[in-house]
Amino acid sequence: MARLHEHGTMTELALGRAAARPRRRAHVYPYLSILPALLVVGLISIYPLLFALDLSLYRNVLTEPLDHPFVGLRNFTEAFGSYYFLRSLQTTVKFTALIIFGTITFGVLVGLYLNRAGRLAGFLRVAILLPWAIPTVMAAIIWRWIFNGNYGILNALLVQVGIIPEYISWLANPYLAPLTLVVTHVWKWGPLAAIMCLATLQVIPRDLYEATHIDGGGGWTTFRFITLPFLRPTILLLLILETIAGFVTFDLIYVLTGGGPGDATTMLAWFAYAEIFRFLNLGKGAAMAFVIAALTLGMALIYVRLLRSEEYTT
Amino acid sequence: MRGKGLALFAVAALMASLLFVLPGASAGPTRLTVSFTVWTFAVDLIKENIRRFEQRYPNVEIKLNDHNWGQYNDTVVSRFVGGSDAPDVLYSSDHWLQQWAAAGWIVPLEDHFPQVKEMAKSFAPYAVDGMTYKGKIYGLPYYADPMGFFYNEAILKKAGFTLPPATWEELLAQSKVIKEKGLVKYPIGFGFSLQEPFSIEVFISMVYSRGGDLFDKDGNPVFDRPGSATIKSIQWVRDALKAGVLNPESLSWDVQAGAAMRAATQVYSISRASALWAFNDPRQSKEAGNFKIALMPGSTHQTVGFVRFYAMSSQVPKRGKEALDAAWAFLNYFGGPGPDNSYPVVRKWATDFGLGFAQMPLFRDTEILLSFGKWVDVPLLQRIGQRYSKVKQGLTPQFAQWDVFTRTELHKAYLEQQTPEQTVKNMAAKWNELRRK
Repeated sequence: MARLHEHGTMTELALGRAAARPRRRAHVYPYLSILPALLVVGLISIYPLLFALDLSLYRNVLTEPLDHPFVGLRNFTEAFGSYYFLRSLQTTVKFTALIIFGTITFGVLVGLYLNRAGRLAGFLRVAILLPWAIPTVMAAIIWRWIFNGNYGILNALLVQVGIIPEYISWLANPYLAPLTLVVTHVWKWGPLAAIMCLATLQVIPRDLYEATHIDGGGGWTTFRFITLPFLRPTILLLLILETIAGFVTFDLIYVLTGGGPGDATTMLAWFAYAEIFRFLNLGKGAAMAFVIAALTLGMALIYVRLLRSEEYTT
Repeated sequence: MRGKGLALFAVAALMASLLFVLPGASAGPTRLTVSFTVWTFAVDLIKENIRRFEQRYPNVEIKLNDHNWGQYNDTVVSRFVGGSDAPDVLYSSDHWLQQWAAAGWIVPLEDHFPQVKEMAKSFAPYAVDGMTYKGKIYGLPYYADPMGFFYNEAILKKAGFTLPPATWEELLAQSKVIKEKGLVKYPIGFGFSLQEPFSIEVFISMVYSRGGDLFDKDGNPVFDRPGSATIKSIQWVRDALKAGVLNPESLSWDVQAGAAMRAATQVYSISRASALWAFNDPRQSKEAGNFKIALMPGSTHQTVGFVRFYAMSSQVPKRGKEALDAAWAFLNYFGGPGPDNSYPVVRKWATDFGLGFAQMPLFRDTEILLSFGKWVDVPLLQRIGQRYSKVKQGLTPQFAQWDVFTRTELHKAYLEQQTPEQTVKNMAAKWNELRRK
């Protein structure tokens, strides 16, 4: 009996194990499937992040290759306490606010225009994307010539039209140089915003507009109560994208102004770059990169939360 | 079985492909590759020089790449920091030598090629100073020049002046007359862009010419003393901007100041002396022949003498003796007398582009003297080079960082965002901070 029982138990056990194996396999399989992707993400995102974090905790100046003492958070405190950090933060915030305003306004207005049926609409929808398709460095070079104070076409145009009496030094003026960055950015990224707005506008049911029209609603009422609510998620998305763009803008500065004149266009990303590649201070540069990442992430999270609440209410 | 067969096939294919990739697998003699990084200037002539070198040394292949002059230091630094893409031999400058050497990116030539010490005796002393770090020589000269003060003689005559300005005050006065007569809108223009490495050399020349110094013999700043030549030079730039005689675009200009000279929309400029070659080249300017060099305005007329040179990175010794031999062949051919004692590359730069040189035997070379005589007053140029040129003071590992910081501070002073006194105070504080570190 005992033997039988034993036999029975063993069979059950054997059967149980056989049944458990596919279950375990099924359990492990999804993890194995995503392992390659996880490894890639780990290699290109997490490892550099940890490496940068490690760097930021040491004094690591390249001209002193044998001396890297642990300094804790001193790189962060030194950065926060410096005039140049505060100045570049101020410039970054102003620039970000202006490009958010410029890009979204451009996107909405041009999107509305392109949404109207017209003979040129098809052509314009393609043509508008050209600036977006041009690499940023190329765009900056083009605008560098346009803004040239002695030979630039912008000056020639404005003088001919009579808006300005004489040529202006756009890139050498501390008040105008930041605006040249804003104009170039909006010219480059505004078209994408316009196409995103256009895509949203095209899904708004026509009968809503007709109903408003019948009720006597004018252009502004239609825009305020129909168009804008539909556009809101797109605008929020653009807000996130432009905020991040504002905080990480580097290539435009590199080509167009080099951070100058003076420190008029020195923004956080440029400041971090200068710390690493010009002052050869890897520790401080890494700390700066973390600060930028934290600021951008913080703002992106706020926006995403707003976007989610928007989804629930619409 | 099928899986095994596929695996075997894959291994065989991999091994076959490796045969093509591995060095030495191909037929014929192996060529040793030496990577060479330059800033973008006359790349066609560089390629021609490389072609000639490779004909002479068929076992060495030179892989050239170039970067924009304004971003050269940043780009090279990023390549060194990256570690995997560092060049074997490269252009360098007395600006950056100390920084690169302290970081261990470039190596002293004399540690690997003892003959360099003897060769250096034939170089101008200021060039040797500019290539020396901790008593060791790190390069062979690509070119060496004093900073020159240029003027357009024809416009000066039209304005009623027979001589160029001898002082900075006189320069301001002449410029005002030229502007008032409507000859040009902005008589003066400099390359003061933040991205322009020459900008600090222009500024230091202005300081030297007033008899000023930047540092004492112990490396302590003296430019921040009340009434220093540095403060006066900053004030002069502010005055010139305010008077509307210095082109405000100067703050965003690099080589464009030269373009304005060639177009005769500007009368005065400061640049490397050899820039005059392009001004007086009829292919490049309708005003060719009107451009002259003068002593730097000021009480002492002193100016900066600088050297740009060929350096060797620390990766070459790691590659072994063959790489070192190839690098030496290259360095000697490009910056030295070469295998035939004819200075093949230095001579070419001098005759084809008017680049100055530090190799003293060439100062007596008739072919070069004749060629220089076509675009410059040779005795005056020699006098500026030998009597008035001074190496940049403060050439230490922190100089490059301080230079970048100083360019921004000077801009703020020119734009009247801060006083000249505050500017020199900030410059001195940064110098001391970098020094302490």
